[in-house]
Amino acid sequence: MSAPFYKFGLFGDETSLIVAFVTGIAFGFFLERAGFGNARLLAAQFYFRDLRVLKVMFTAIITAMVGLYVFSRLGLLDLSLVYLVPTLVWPQIVGGLLLGAGFIIGGYCPGTSCVSAATGRLDGMVYVAGMVGGLLGFAEVYPRIVGFAKSTPLGQVTIPQYFDLPYGLLVLLVVLMALAAFAAAEWAEHRIGGHAPDENALTSRSPRLNTIRRLGVVLVAGGVFATFAGSPYRGPFVRYDAKQLALDAGGKTDRVSPAQLADWLIAGRTDFVLVDVRDAAAYGRYHVPGAMNVPLATLTPDFAAHNERVICYGSGDGDGAQAALVLRSFGFPGAYAITGGVEAWQADVLFPTAPNAKAPAAEQIDFARRAAIARHFGGAPRDGSGAATPATPEMPKIVPMPESAAPAAPAPVRKKKEGC
Amino acid sequence: MNPYAAGLGLGLVLLAAFVVMGRGLGASGAFTTAVATAVHAVAPHHAEGNAFYQEYLGDGTTSPLKDWLVFEVLGVFVGGFLSGALANRLKFTVEKGPRVSTPARLVLAFIGGALMGIGAKLALGCTSGQALTGGALLNLGSWIFMICVFAGAYALAWFLRREWL
Repeated sequence: MSAPFYKFGLFGDETSLIVAFVTGIAFGFFLERAGFGNARLLAAQFYFRDLRVLKVMFTAIITAMVGLYVFSRLGLLDLSLVYLVPTLVWPQIVGGLLLGAGFIIGGYCPGTSCVSAATGRLDGMVYVAGMVGGLLGFAEVYPRIVGFAKSTPLGQVTIPQYFDLPYGLLVLLVVLMALAAFAAAEWAEHRIGGHAPDENALTSRSPRLNTIRRLGVVLVAGGVFATFAGSPYRGPFVRYDAKQLALDAGGKTDRVSPAQLADWLIAGRTDFVLVDVRDAAAYGRYHVPGAMNVPLATLTPDFAAHNERVICYGSGDGDGAQAALVLRSFGFPGAYAITGGVEAWQADVLFPTAPNAKAPAAEQIDFARRAAIARHFGGAPRDGSGAATPATPEMPKIVPMPESAAPAAPAPVRKKKEGC
Repeated sequence: MNPYAAGLGLGLVLLAAFVVMGRGLGASGAFTTAVATAVHAVAPHHAEGNAFYQEYLGDGTTSPLKDWLVFEVLGVFVGGFLSGALANRLKFTVEKGPRVSTPARLVLAFIGGALMGIGAKLALGCTSGQALTGGALLNLGSWIFMICVFAGAYALAWFLRREWL
């Protein structure tokens, strides 16, 4: 299983919108069930009368956090592919304070205001209008504050990474902290809000194993497991489906032909990584343009993102195929080898042999195209006699492609933001 | 619903989003996309000249509204409505304390919404996209943000007690 499913291409953009809609329905449903359509209930958090904001938020956070950890550690999910919002220290401090002010003044946050508006609250609808007004205003002043808005960047970083703490230990600490906060919240509700913990409370007098107690036991157990199980980001662990690997290797579906690669390179495709797995000396003498050098012995599970298409080649057919096999067992379902390795690339792409003069016209036209491709990559077509076998080329001198031979290059895509 | 049970449900929805999509939940981003699209429709030159709107308009090959967050937030409206309808909680009303007039409450709701819009854009996310999602991922910036949200709200709570209590 390769999760996140979307990032491994298990479904496309159109389907992702259906997923979005369904996810949103579930999200809105639970927000409403939590009582978050009601601004008074939300604001009660800040007078210690009813601390359901804290309870709901942190129950959700620790549930998802432990779930993510366990899935990642079992190798079912690649955590490095889950989007992390970049950290910008000062903008996030100021933004957080403004958001907190907006919360107590307006009574909602963006998600809860949607639920409030959808259930008929006028204040929720006005709040949404206010948010639109704020965004319009922000856009106008943005060019003047862009320096601040992008200041103090730390990149995409987690707390364990930044402070160099074990990820699993932090998972346990956050679970324990949340449970302590729930107990404190129930105590405050009793003292200030005047309602004693009911039978659903963590600190209820009844010995019954209610939802939060059961969940607490499961999550603490998950946290203890995490403390001893190491980082959820992929380590040097190998999982493979031997049957599938055999089928791919036998059916040659893990291969890319040199001609196909040449077309991709000319088209300017950027959706793959080209890897030369020979040693540095061989790479230095000649490599396919755009290839990076990662010798076979140094391939690691984290040398590229796992949803990346990786094309490997070495000397001859074997090295590249082995590299592709190793990568597939590291969890790169998009690893391929170039058929015949660098020698086949040189023979087929750099120095194609002209067909016999009596060959059909289609073959002659095809050869003209291949000759243009060969010159583009710094090679030269050979005539049919086979007499003049050229030496291995030096590093290629890439010449511009004639219009007719070059497949149309796609326009570079400007990606939309992934975050909020 | 018992808040812990609602939290568990929310946590499982969040976990499902991580597993299926490789991203968490969000809310404010959808409004930004909608605002950027509307401004682009009314004043295309203005929107194209603005670095902020540009980030939400994409490359122009598809409508910027064909966006994950936009569809997710449409779902939030539908899900909230369905849950309210099933529990008989649909009602035109204004949520406020007894000591504040309705017009004053609505003015405060507008101001709060505006502050929230600005804050969410500075912080790169709101309570959903930052606190909930980033909290579960142990994202450094999200935890800084979350502490500041609570700090900001608690700091002002005393001044606004007439609105709620």
